[in-house]
Amino acid sequence: MSAQANRKKNLGFLIVFAVLTVLCWCPIGYGRYGEVDLIMGMPSWAFFLLMIGALLFVLQWIYLFKTDLALYDRDVEEIVEALRKIDTEETRI
Amino acid sequence: MIAVIIITSLCFVSVFISYVAFRKGFTKSADDYFVAGSSLGYFVLIFSLLASFLSAFSMFGMSSFGYRLGYGSLYVLTANLVPLGFLWYFMHKKTFLLGRARKWMTMGAPFGERYGTPMKIILVLVVLVASVPYVVAQIQGIGVMLEAMSDGIISFRVGLFFVPFFIAIYLMMGGMKGAAWVNAIQGVFFSVMVFVLFFFVMMKNGGFVPTMEMVLAKHPNLFQIGWAGGKVWSYPMIFGMASAMALGCVCFPQPYMHAYSSRSVRGLKAMFLSFGGICLFVITMPTLIGVAGNVIVPGLKGVEADKIYGLVAAATMPDWLAALAVAGGFTAAMSTVNGLVFGNAVNLSLDVVRTMRPKTQPSEYITFARIFVAIIMAVCVWIAWNPTTPVAELSVIAFGTVAVTFFALWGAYYWKRATAAGAILSTLAGVFMNILFFVLGGKNMILFPQDFMFQLNGFLASFIVAGIVFFVGSWLTTPGKTEEKSLKLFFHPVLEK
Repeated sequence: MSAQANRKKNLGFLIVFAVLTVLCWCPIGYGRYGEVDLIMGMPSWAFFLLMIGALLFVLQWIYLFKTDLALYDRDVEEIVEALRKIDTEETRI
Repeated sequence: MIAVIIITSLCFVSVFISYVAFRKGFTKSADDYFVAGSSLGYFVLIFSLLASFLSAFSMFGMSSFGYRLGYGSLYVLTANLVPLGFLWYFMHKKTFLLGRARKWMTMGAPFGERYGTPMKIILVLVVLVASVPYVVAQIQGIGVMLEAMSDGIISFRVGLFFVPFFIAIYLMMGGMKGAAWVNAIQGVFFSVMVFVLFFFVMMKNGGFVPTMEMVLAKHPNLFQIGWAGGKVWSYPMIFGMASAMALGCVCFPQPYMHAYSSRSVRGLKAMFLSFGGICLFVITMPTLIGVAGNVIVPGLKGVEADKIYGLVAAATMPDWLAALAVAGGFTAAMSTVNGLVFGNAVNLSLDVVRTMRPKTQPSEYITFARIFVAIIMAVCVWIAWNPTTPVAELSVIAFGTVAVTFFALWGAYYWKRATAAGAILSTLAGVFMNILFFVLGGKNMILFPQDFMFQLNGFLASFIVAGIVFFVGSWLTTPGKTEEKSLKLFFHPVLEK
């Protein structure tokens, strides 16, 4: 897949992650003040919160393990080798 | 007496596990002692990271929140932590790769290489200052729990020595590997015990739905947001608490230490992803146990509600099982102390001592780290000695204080124009704002929305100020030699993926 297409896909995931993060941090759009209905013994907004959390978890899993957008072990050796050749000011043990 | 036996056994098992790590030679070199030779597999990583973050607050505090404040508490430590999967991945992907290439072992290392020594030292001190009250709160909690669980056989002050002594022993002996093994076992233990307690509590009244319907009939507000005239669980209150806890988690030492210790990228990703997923279940349970507690042990007020976890265990389980359930919360406190003390001891040994004594031998750093473990633990016990010390209140600013380093970390990895001056000013401004808000209005000003700050809480206001100072400070200053030189490492084309 081209770098351009990967960038777009990456951006798409990031936007979805950002939206779901806002929903995990605030009940915008699914929770209102006052009386509530119950779903499986929970207030409806709490049920939706847990579902949104679960959805975000699944999407993160797909991003990290099922796409070619994340880092994989097969890439590490080459990256680390290239980085080891760089010399910076701080010394290491 | 059963509780004392269980807790003493847990302490001895922890020391034994650490002894095994020591005997197997996992603490011989600095690399082995500090980052477990980058050899941890993902099961240990996942549960070690989980246990090092989840404190007594996650069990006892969240059930108390659920009891007093209801379902809105789910925004404090459950679904709001799921985004850490991608937040940690993006913020610490380079920590893992650069750490492996540069043999980093501390959270100060990336800041030192990117911004220079002053920023590294400031970071170490900020994290230490933020961590101490948090550790003290855990130790005090352990003392209180031991006194209550042993029916006074072990007094509060004896408890202050009892468990920290064991923690210091296993940290000094087993290093990161021993600590991670102990954390992992404690993490599995308290996760299982939460599920067991949840089952017993819900079955007491015929299952989850009937229990919740009973609570709803008596306390409908516990199921609402924006109750008490819009004051409790308002949108700004929810957003302030949810974001504070998640952003603070990004910047504590634990994700750095675990990133350096990971054997593989697969393990790193699994660890970051699983944390939020497990919290979604494991912390939701004590919160709902607290909500259900309203029909099992009704009428608790104020600090009495903090005992609800143990009280519902006693009311629904056989004595020995209730003791095991409460011991689960106890191990959560132990593993948090363990993670924070070790992280800070490593920072002090490698970042501060190395700066002051550049010719120190690698093996000497291990000795220094062991000494710092003992000193930090002793200082924390000393502070905890007076039970009226407001450390529990002070510890609420720990997350806010550490979170202000978020921008300096992001800039180090993703913004070429970031400067040392911007990073230092931003960190100092953020810490100053947190302290100022705490002095002016206590924990309420840190945690709850304030009218004069456009409904932001002190944490978010400090965080935003730190961000503004970082960007403006970096634009107004010129990158120095260290920043210029670091670009070829931190922005190497191979890191683009």
